[in-house]
Amino acid sequence: MSDEKKTDEKVPELVAITIDGKSYQAPKGGNLLQFMLGEGLEISYFCWHPGMSVVAVCRQCLVGLKNMAKLVPACQTVIGDGMEVDNSSEKVLDARRQLLEFTLVNHPVDCPICDKAGECVLQKHYMDWDHQPSKIDHPKVHKPKAVDLGPRIVLDDERCILCTRCVRFMREIVGDPQLVIANRGNHAVLTVAPGRRLDHPYSLNTVDICPVGALTDKDFRFKIRVWELSATRSVCNGCATGCRCEVHHRRNRIYRLVPPRYKNHDINESWMCDYGRYTYKAVAADRLTLPRVRGQEGGWDDALGRVADALKKAMGGDRSRIGVALGADATNEDNFIAARLALQFLEGSRLYLAAEPIGSQGDTFLRDNDPNPNRAGAEACGRGKAASAEQLGADLKEGKLDVLLVVGDRLHLDEEAMGKAAALDCFAIQATHPSAAVSKAQVVLPACMWAEVDGTITNRDRKTQRLRAAVAPVDFARPHWEILVQIARRAGLTLDFSSASAVFRAMSEEIELFGGAEWGREIPPQLLRYAGSRG
Amino acid sequence: MSKQVLDRLCQRFPEAVLETHGFRGDETAVVRREEIGAIVRWLRDEPGLEMSMLTDMTAVDFLQQGHDPRFEVVYHLFSVPHKHRLRLKVQVPEQDIQVPSLAGLYKIADWLEREIWDMYGIRFKGHPNLKRILLYEEFVGHPLRKDYPKDRRQPLVRRPENEIAEVLARRGKARSLPTPGGAR
Amino acid sequence: MTTTDRDLEAPDLTTVNMGPSHPAMHGTIHIKVGLEGELIRKAEVNIGYLHRGFEKEAEAHSWQQIFPYTDRLNYVSPMLNNVGYALAVEKLLGITAPERAQYLRVIVGEIARICDHLTYMAAQTMEMGAFTPYFYVMKGRDWLWDLLEEISGARLTHSYVRIGGVAWDLPEGFKEKTLELLPRIDTVVVELDKLMTRNRIFLDRMQNIAVISAEEAVSYGWTGPCLRGSGVDYDVRKTHPYLVYDRMDFEIPIGTDGDNMDRYLVRMEEMRQSARIIRQALEQIPPGPVCTDDKLVVIPRKAATYNTIEEMINHFKLVIDGIRPPVGEVYSYTEAGNGELGFYLVSDGTGRPVKCRVRPPCFMGMAALERMITGHMVADVIPTFDTINMIGGECDR
Repeated sequence: MSDEKKTDEKVPELVAITIDGKSYQAPKGGNLLQFMLGEGLEISYFCWHPGMSVVAVCRQCLVGLKNMAKLVPACQTVIGDGMEVDNSSEKVLDARRQLLEFTLVNHPVDCPICDKAGECVLQKHYMDWDHQPSKIDHPKVHKPKAVDLGPRIVLDDERCILCTRCVRFMREIVGDPQLVIANRGNHAVLTVAPGRRLDHPYSLNTVDICPVGALTDKDFRFKIRVWELSATRSVCNGCATGCRCEVHHRRNRIYRLVPPRYKNHDINESWMCDYGRYTYKAVAADRLTLPRVRGQEGGWDDALGRVADALKKAMGGDRSRIGVALGADATNEDNFIAARLALQFLEGSRLYLAAEPIGSQGDTFLRDNDPNPNRAGAEACGRGKAASAEQLGADLKEGKLDVLLVVGDRLHLDEEAMGKAAALDCFAIQATHPSAAVSKAQVVLPACMWAEVDGTITNRDRKTQRLRAAVAPVDFARPHWEILVQIARRAGLTLDFSSASAVFRAMSEEIELFGGAEWGREIPPQLLRYAGSRG
Repeated sequence: MSKQVLDRLCQRFPEAVLETHGFRGDETAVVRREEIGAIVRWLRDEPGLEMSMLTDMTAVDFLQQGHDPRFEVVYHLFSVPHKHRLRLKVQVPEQDIQVPSLAGLYKIADWLEREIWDMYGIRFKGHPNLKRILLYEEFVGHPLRKDYPKDRRQPLVRRPENEIAEVLARRGKARSLPTPGGAR
Repeated sequence: MTTTDRDLEAPDLTTVNMGPSHPAMHGTIHIKVGLEGELIRKAEVNIGYLHRGFEKEAEAHSWQQIFPYTDRLNYVSPMLNNVGYALAVEKLLGITAPERAQYLRVIVGEIARICDHLTYMAAQTMEMGAFTPYFYVMKGRDWLWDLLEEISGARLTHSYVRIGGVAWDLPEGFKEKTLELLPRIDTVVVELDKLMTRNRIFLDRMQNIAVISAEEAVSYGWTGPCLRGSGVDYDVRKTHPYLVYDRMDFEIPIGTDGDNMDRYLVRMEEMRQSARIIRQALEQIPPGPVCTDDKLVVIPRKAATYNTIEEMINHFKLVIDGIRPPVGEVYSYTEAGNGELGFYLVSDGTGRPVKCRVRPPCFMGMAALERMITGHMVADVIPTFDTINMIGGECDR
């Protein structure tokens, strides 16, 4: 998934088909169901998924074809020239109703306690295609409920409709078949393969693709009802891949991160790693909320004034004794302002990049070895002049700095260098969480996290994506760029920006990497209620 | 609602009528903004049509649907002698948010247009007295627009300290950290 | 539009502020008059004191959830608002309520109309100084509210009507109770008539005051008793019959002079006609279901909901997603207490409205108030304002 989508080898040949009497030009050899969905036609399905193999186990997508006595599953039908598809006759609608009836025969009456309620595909198809009352008068088949499948997932076998999406995902997409269907007929159950657990680092994707509430995320279970949430599109900040995601939140609290539904075929399609999904917790947990000067919490004026005073004093003397560190976890706008401050106004000062060292936690699927979400962007803002954190450590030990201003949370120095930093005239850090650097800094300025700001970050493939603010900043935190503008103003420098989009505009004109990027239009958060839900 | 009114309208103003449709018995015509005064005057005075009553006038904001132009001003006309009805719609872009006023044609247009100004911020050119009608004068914003959040609070009286409250309200209240128990 | 160009604050005029908090302002209304002696040379009417954001709220709720808000529009005849809104959504959906439900809607609607007009009588007479009729009317209105409370559970905020029908059937003995009550209501109306209609003081204060011609009334968008007082024969129940009004035999009183007295007399007679309609409806009402059983509109029975997954899903999706009408817009209108109550609904296919506009009949009445009181004396403001029967909940929403 890390490569760019391969450019299509050849454009497929288009053939003429009709669906319900209307003519279409469809790619020969293509998947009929995929084509119909692309045209916006109404059809029901459970087991098909564009990223996985076709198995046609659910039979919900049955359509009629001319000259075929029996109905065929659209997901298994290859488009051919002159095909005539029937998608709306009584026979087809009847088939859909009957299939749903069968699917519901043993389905437990769990909606009030099921997490998927509100985004459940089964509920959606029932309302769209089948509104018949129940016809059975017989106890339902019971299966295990609340089965602990793995460290993050709980399974309810009664709700499972045996679509095998999860089984195929594990087998085909991540290549580790931890799930299987056991038993037969009415008693078939989803379960883990013998001796295995569902503990793969991408296991939570099965919760997303499960059309019903059979697989549920332990972290999200029973926390909140889906229809109370609003969705804001943003980008995961867990590593340099920058998977697109949706932040689901309500009243300024984030409840989960999910990948977008499969209309997006860029970067991460409709998948995300489990680690990335849980990065939302950091937005609320353990945040710095008030500015601190020498360990004492105080107001912004005082803290900003200290930094500005130190800068003013140092500006008058040898500028190379001022150090500014860009943050590889801060947005491009933040880094652009910091770089402008360092390179333009404080010309002669030393520029560094505070980034986490590249590790080995990455894999071949999505997660990258580089845990910094915006290294590429920060380096571009630094115009290639930003030295590494090791260099910063060395410069500190050699006593080359008097003032150090750090943006972001990713500064890692060894103990000696950190001790030297603590002894500087002014060591100021704009951060979001407590850390070793924060405890040593004289001035601590609480900053906003990625889910609280509008901005852009650039991933490992040099693609710039837009972050959208989903929740309000915690208490008194401010965006990095805004803090820097305030410091500059107090130090007598004219750095005048009033919004992140204004910074973006200036940035995209000056730096080549961002020249083609777009700020995009303002998209208000989408309420997941009132037929806006994902199900 | 009457189909023949619509037909005669299309005949008389072929350039000005952009689109027509009928739904559940209601006939609607989408017309050019600049022509609305002439069209309504003709509908009111033409023998056989005589749409003597402006039953209602309102506006709709299609921001969430992503329409461009964003707003629509909707007129409902009724003929007391002939009993037929017609709906006229005028599309209004956000960048040029104004419509000619009908206050000279129907006496009720005065107040109806004031309400649309109040709620949506659509100006009516030629209106004698375009000021707020339902809300108080110091109110900031146009609340029926889709980007005006339902739960925004406003100071009742503008004083300097209230300006701060306003800025905070505009940015969204800063939240405090959730309690360790998790539930809020 | 005011008829004079005089400045309200001109030095030769005395500016008097009436309201918004004023015992005679039923509903909060602010009327500023510029007086020359006792004559009003210029008037300015300010409404909006009861603006609660009905339309904004409606945009944030599903179609079925809006009913309690409609109760609080014209809050002296809530059933009529419920019926109007339900008919609008049904027009959008393209469904019809079953016959029995239609009769029930007519019955409760006409009871509400009588309540509305009785309240008007009370306000009109009391605010001119006549206290007694007010208490007679309150007594009568309370009897009617007892009836409505038996049906819906509430005296004022009924929310009895549903999309597709009504909430439940009539209680036992309702027909007998109503038929026994109607003559008593008639007695109240007769008492009122005897006290007021030929009362010298009343006539002096109401006749030839605030005359509005038919053309002007139509230009002001007037409908209902105010328009009919000016001589225009327009009542939605007769012109565009809806529900089962075409099966009812009743008359529409039309005035001749367009003055306060005519508007009063029209309402007086309408109460009698409403009683006629109620009697006929109770006679004609057929047995049958009181709500449609369309699964996409009405939630299933509780026993089925709790025990079968199909009904559970049905109930669930209707409540959470809301009823999903087709994409489109409708304007639906009924005859409410004050005139043509219109609902303009715009749907984008989801469970909540893009726009839910209420066309408030008394808003049009208030628009003409400046014109009506200019040229009359200060003492005429109150009777004139009363004849418009402005209900704050409906005018300001």
